[in-house]
Amino acid sequence: MSEGVTHIHLTDGSESVDKVDDGDCVTSTVDVACISDENPLLAGISMCGSTPLLWRVADLKMARQAGVIGSLVGSLSRQPRQNTRLGRPLELLDEEARLLAEDGKVMVLPTRDEEKEEDYSERVEHYRQDLEQCHKVQSALALQDKKGALQRVMTDTKNEGSVRDRLEALDRDFSLPVSAITVQLCTARAGLSYHSDEKDFLSASWPVQQDEQAQTRFLVYRDLRRRGFCLTSAGKFGGDYLVYPGDPLCFHAHFIALCVAMNTTTPICDILAMARLGSNVKKTVVLCSPGVTREKLNKEEEEEREVKEREDEVVYTSLQWSGMV
Amino acid sequence: MADEETSTEQPKLQFCSELLSPSEQFEARSRSHKIPVRGQKHFLPTGSERQRERLEQSLQEHWTLVGEERVERLGSLVRALWIPGEDVVELQTPAGKFWQTMGYAAHGKQRLLPEEALYLMECGNLQVFHHDLPLSIEEGYERLLSSGRPGLLSLHQYQVFGHLKRLGYVVNRFDPSTVQSRYERQLNLPQSRDRHGHHLKRKRSQSPAHRHAGDQTPPPPEKPAEEGAEPTPPSPPASPVCPDPPLSPPQERSPARGPPQDQSAGAGAGQGLVGGGRDGRTRLAGAGAGAEGGPECLPPLGLQEDPLPRPGLVPPRPPRPPHPPLPPPDPRLLPGALEVGECNVAPWLRQLSLRDERLSRRERDRQRQRSRYHRDVNDDRDVRRCRNWAEYLELRERRWSRRNHGDKPANLWNGSVTPLSQPGHASSHGDLLNQIGVIQSSRLLDDAVSLTIPSQWKISFDVYQPDTVADYKKSNPGKPYTRMCVCSFEGPVPDLQVVKSLSFQSGDVPVTFAAVDRGDISFYCFKDIQLPVDVCH
Repeated sequence: MSEGVTHIHLTDGSESVDKVDDGDCVTSTVDVACISDENPLLAGISMCGSTPLLWRVADLKMARQAGVIGSLVGSLSRQPRQNTRLGRPLELLDEEARLLAEDGKVMVLPTRDEEKEEDYSERVEHYRQDLEQCHKVQSALALQDKKGALQRVMTDTKNEGSVRDRLEALDRDFSLPVSAITVQLCTARAGLSYHSDEKDFLSASWPVQQDEQAQTRFLVYRDLRRRGFCLTSAGKFGGDYLVYPGDPLCFHAHFIALCVAMNTTTPICDILAMARLGSNVKKTVVLCSPGVTREKLNKEEEEEREVKEREDEVVYTSLQWSGMV
Repeated sequence: MADEETSTEQPKLQFCSELLSPSEQFEARSRSHKIPVRGQKHFLPTGSERQRERLEQSLQEHWTLVGEERVERLGSLVRALWIPGEDVVELQTPAGKFWQTMGYAAHGKQRLLPEEALYLMECGNLQVFHHDLPLSIEEGYERLLSSGRPGLLSLHQYQVFGHLKRLGYVVNRFDPSTVQSRYERQLNLPQSRDRHGHHLKRKRSQSPAHRHAGDQTPPPPEKPAEEGAEPTPPSPPASPVCPDPPLSPPQERSPARGPPQDQSAGAGAGQGLVGGGRDGRTRLAGAGAGAEGGPECLPPLGLQEDPLPRPGLVPPRPPRPPHPPLPPPDPRLLPGALEVGECNVAPWLRQLSLRDERLSRRERDRQRQRSRYHRDVNDDRDVRRCRNWAEYLELRERRWSRRNHGDKPANLWNGSVTPLSQPGHASSHGDLLNQIGVIQSSRLLDDAVSLTIPSQWKISFDVYQPDTVADYKKSNPGKPYTRMCVCSFEGPVPDLQVVKSLSFQSGDVPVTFAAVDRGDISFYCFKDIQLPVDVCH
């Protein structure tokens, strides 16, 4: 385990969090609710490097319902060669993934070992059979299609005889070449591999890199989320988040959230630049600062609770031109 | 896909829900390829029924679009094999149209780089097998990308790669060894395409044999005057000024009086002219103008009066008596310790074209223009009074010191701070600006040789524009449109060292930075600009 990194170990339904306290790094307990196989809302995050990705449509829907927007980064299957509408996978912000994990809605899928000794023969056999079955079914469907077309012609025109001949000929020697069948190119991992790996699927470790800035961002994200806003990344606007009043599909963003820790000093020209940028895109710039961090000396429970409430509090400051000339 | 059969019969299992049944796959043949248009967005949620319906409808469309699986004809899919040890994908059936811009051949096999294979998988052109099972896109992302292994791209790099590929650009991995080094660029080594023509050109200007052969043929009727100015005058005393023409003209400069024969003696001296003396008079006149002031003080040479016949070309004229060799000049007239012996002018004369010079109107205009600003040293009375070099140099020294120190006001020049420029030291406005400029401007590539590229920065891709795809050749891709350096929003902004060293590595191709922010990619670049100067140089 590396220093300054919190690993969340997810094991069958229970969770344990290892904390590494290291100077400037904030360690936090991630509350992972009881995770079980039966939970239908559990989504699997697969990590690509340090980036959390969601692949299954059901998982995407679940995340959207939880107010997590993310951003699609893959090619759209319907029209792959364009950039205006993209498809799966859905890339999540670290904050989004962490919030989902806190709410017990996701788990991290294990990264598979490159060369694990496994017996693939059964699955290969299965795959072959499926392909054959697929060929059979599609041949039947194609035949049905052709017949249907001919029958439609038959009712329309008078030359029934020749059409009937052709129908019989079809019945006799119609065959759909294997190259003509259509096959699916799976987006998410195929089903079977899941079942065999179910055990490791539930035991995975997810390193959460937590420096001070990430912690600030997370607290702001969580607070805004709890207030009912939808958030997306705002790199193009020079901020941390774009804040939407509802689903981004239907509403414009109102604010650009800028996460600034309470005790940092910011040069006035930076703030002016941000305000100018915000007014140019008709959005309000909001400086978001989480409340003062917990004092560790307090040990009494009551005080702790009080402090915790304060910690959750985020101070919002919006910037507006005064209009005075 | 292993579960197609079961998924039709039973209620779908949670994890297999995305597998299509054979009939669903069959139906996918006739599905639409249009992307639904997004409607207008609202400002605020009002809670109204209409708004709720709109949202539901757009979400519905969104999920249909995102949830759609790729379904392709088996015959139109290229089959390939993932080879993890070598980090390549090997094709098992012949490549498709993509082969024009992607892939390479090795050991008699067609191969693809992992990112190319993944992109083609996403486009529905390629099916990659591993352990005899097809990889899903998810598994593709897992296996074909990695930030740790050098043979594979990171997710960020792949996102930039995919973004550009989807727009139609040709994107290759950048290989530093293919960039021409600065030395090669300075030599201006020809590209393989135009090597032939280049050689021809060099041959013409270099080979003396060729030049001699050309002497036999009629010279080109006219030559532009500038070309005549190129060669340096052949005679040794190419001194800056000739001090005392009235006394006696430097005699070695009047070779025209020499006879056409007696070639052998002066062959060495004549060699100098071989480089450039085809049409004698233009050339000499031009050379005179070009060599700083020296030849101007010569009295006119005798060329005009007695044009000499060129062997085999000009109609024969009565032979003239052979010129005697020129006697050595008076040593007093020569600057410094110069020894000039007797000069045989005969071979020189043979080199000269003695045809009358016919200038075009433009050339005449140019000559007039030149002579307008031309000042003859011999017009100067003081110079004429000098009797030898020593006196002339003394005169110059006197004038120089008078100009520099004579008129300098003490209040400006005697303190510790003096003006940056001196009167008379600048010959143009640009010159003056240069002298009074305290900070010199620097270009992007200045001093970039010695800089090393910080380890976390590297150029990832060569990018070629979409409209060049038709002529694109993998074997000879030519100069890229730009090179791409991938960085993340969280990472540092490139500093001057990074910008300089990367653009130096890239040579004459600009470097573009692609900043990746959660799938959103912004491109930016740093450009060298030259501030405009409001004077003409």
